Amino acid sequence: MFESIDNVQSRLRECGYVCGKNISTVVFLAERLEKPVLVEGPAGVGKTELAKVVATATGRDLIRLQCYEGLDEAKALYEWEYSKQLLYTQILKEKFSEAMAGTRTLREAADRIGSEDNIFFSERFIVPRPLLRAITAKKPTLLLVDEVDKSDPEFEAFLLEVLSDFQVSVPEVGTFTAAHRPLVFLTSNDAREMTDALKRRCLHLYIDFPSEEEERRILDVKIPGIEQRLADELVGVMQRLRKLDLKKTPSISETLDWARALLALHATELDDGLVRDTLNVILKYEGDIRKAQSELGRLIVRKAEEKRPEPAAGAAPPAAPAPPKKGTLH
Amino acid sequence: MQKKILEFANLLRKSGIRVSVAEALDAFAALDELSLDEREVFRDALRSSMVKRSEDIESYDQLFDLFWSGFYDNLRESFGAAAQGLSGQLDLEALLRAVQEGMANLDPGEVDLSELARALLTQDLSQLEKLIREAAEAAGVSRIENLLQIGFFSRRIMERMNAEGAGQELRDLAARLQAAGMSQAEAEALQGLIERLMEALRKAVRNLTERELQKQNFDYMERFRRETLIEKSFYHLTEEEVRQMREVVSRLAQRIKNILSIRRRRLQKGKLDLHQTLRRNMARGGVPFELSFKQRKKDRPKLVILCDVSSSVANVSRFMLQFVYSLQEAFTKIRSFVFVAELGEVTPVFRDNDISDAIDKALDGGDVINVYTRSNFGYAFHSFWQNFLSAVDKRTTVLVLGDARNNYNDPRAWCLRDVHHKAKNLVWLNPESPGAWGFGDSVMDKYLPYCDVAEECRNLRQLSKVVDRLVL
Repeated sequence: MFESIDNVQSRLRECGYVCGKNISTVVFLAERLEKPVLVEGPAGVGKTELAKVVATATGRDLIRLQCYEGLDEAKALYEWEYSKQLLYTQILKEKFSEAMAGTRTLREAADRIGSEDNIFFSERFIVPRPLLRAITAKKPTLLLVDEVDKSDPEFEAFLLEVLSDFQVSVPEVGTFTAAHRPLVFLTSNDAREMTDALKRRCLHLYIDFPSEEEERRILDVKIPGIEQRLADELVGVMQRLRKLDLKKTPSISETLDWARALLALHATELDDGLVRDTLNVILKYEGDIRKAQSELGRLIVRKAEEKRPEPAAGAAPPAAPAPPKKGTLH
Repeated sequence: MQKKILEFANLLRKSGIRVSVAEALDAFAALDELSLDEREVFRDALRSSMVKRSEDIESYDQLFDLFWSGFYDNLRESFGAAAQGLSGQLDLEALLRAVQEGMANLDPGEVDLSELARALLTQDLSQLEKLIREAAEAAGVSRIENLLQIGFFSRRIMERMNAEGAGQELRDLAARLQAAGMSQAEAEALQGLIERLMEALRKAVRNLTERELQKQNFDYMERFRRETLIEKSFYHLTEEEVRQMREVVSRLAQRIKNILSIRRRRLQKGKLDLHQTLRRNMARGGVPFELSFKQRKKDRPKLVILCDVSSSVANVSRFMLQFVYSLQEAFTKIRSFVFVAELGEVTPVFRDNDISDAIDKALDGGDVINVYTRSNFGYAFHSFWQNFLSAVDKRTTVLVLGDARNNYNDPRAWCLRDVHHKAKNLVWLNPESPGAWGFGDSVMDKYLPYCDVAEECRNLRQLSKVVDRLVL
């Protein structure tokens, strides 16, 4: 249990997730009010990551349900394990004959089997899928329903039923009720709008692209080895890139990828050539790359130019060997 | 507080943000868990429980600022300024202490100050806010409609709380204090202070009225803006507005795609596939626990779009091309053509360029077709018939976007007839209303027999209606 909003922030931070007040407020409320959270926002801003980190920070088990077109109850809730049932019948054949011994008519035999049929439709033969796992779990869990917008509307309606009272009835076995109400995170990329009914039951959290300052902090936490100047420049370029009219705007995950790529290339500062060669790490469409290249001059703002630090004798920066040749990344 | 939140929820509803009762209750529950000393936290908590669409967040933030306005901040500011204005070496505290002492010496019956006067003198801001708000409510300030009423309502609020009376009481008090032996400097300072306090009160009331007006008008402006975009005829769109609609349009295209994919999934169950069923159930000794069905051949719809880009429909075509572009992003089997008199294919142009470039290229004379001629639907259809009829087969839907104003040329409706025979569907979206079809140089009536669907499509609302009913 989180104690306060600041507590959320610091504990998520310990797990390597930097977030602002808006995110931590919603996380805090979600736990207090036991309400699901619908997280929306552009791809790659850390929606799924948030759920994972909250699970770690609260010590809950993460149960993930990835949605896709055609996902149905059998794959989300439970399934009967036919093969196992069949196998058991084969093995128990002899026992059946014993049990049947003494019955004279077919009806009598059928009745006797009928009285025992619950052994085949018991929990033993159920394969629990994520939703049932979350409900029957002994420990508190966090249920992550990822990309819920990809699922079909029918599935959404079904999900609604489960989310409203965390109780599932399997006709042959009975009703399962959650011992601990799982914390639920639903993520959506806005491929289709979710129904009002679902939205009404959830707290809503919109994660947008981070501000320059936030992105800088994220970079510090995620890539500790990066040089301050490179990090500043890199974040600057990303912020300006997002202002361009691109088909796919790069987000935080791209920033991190880029930073890692630049580290691997032993880069200490950005220049035109380096950016040009590594643009394909952050931009995923040919058209976008071309557009960014034509705007290159405006993207890289040389604010570091005038205050280039003199290589001090005492604290020499880690001598990064210049790469022999700046290879293009593919 | 609860009342205030319900009021806020009402304001949100008025501005087109859907807030259900359950959600307002959630907001209460959320606030119970939080300490409210931070404005940001308060805003986020309310937002997460009441605003569920990311498009609404911006309006919400503006409304939040208006509603939970810093009216208190404003009050503090104006009264702070009033207290600052003390002349000489007297400071406020010393003066107020002197007043207190003076008042203690007076006969208690004579210094019976009204609530407002006392709040003013002690500058009890929260009490002042309460009094002003009460008076505002009594004055019916929420009925304010336009700028001209600001003065009227401000005056009315002042009257309601008897501000002049309070001012007079304070002035009397000052006079009496002076008579009772307050020093000259102090008395003058006190008089000055009282006048400034009254001025600050007037300002604060006016400010409240202005805020109220903004609040009432917010939804009006917003709705006006949105409605105009949806209702506005394509003919009158500016280029900028067309750009604004880009997102809406691509969502429409996505919706068409979704409709199709749902339809496809429903068709999936075909005949029992014996081979597959046996194979799948080998593990169970051939007992068919899980059945497999033959998949029906996926009916991928093909789309051929013919878009009129003549100058008579200049902005309409800019808009329609956006629609075509978005459709092309959503479908794989699609071919797009533009025409005025000549007909040219823009499929590759749209595929390789981003949206604004692509549209500029399509509309730019000479790149694809000559757009500076007079439109001739007959000629265009004929050249389609000659060159591209093979693009149409029985799975193809042909979508024509144009006004069918043919400049008295030969309509050559037989070309369209042949296309209609070959295609699965022929849909015509015309920006003119059906009343005008066939009048003047419109040859829509000639083409009409060969259209499976012909609809008026003059604004976004109609377009999205058509999309909803469209069976490709």
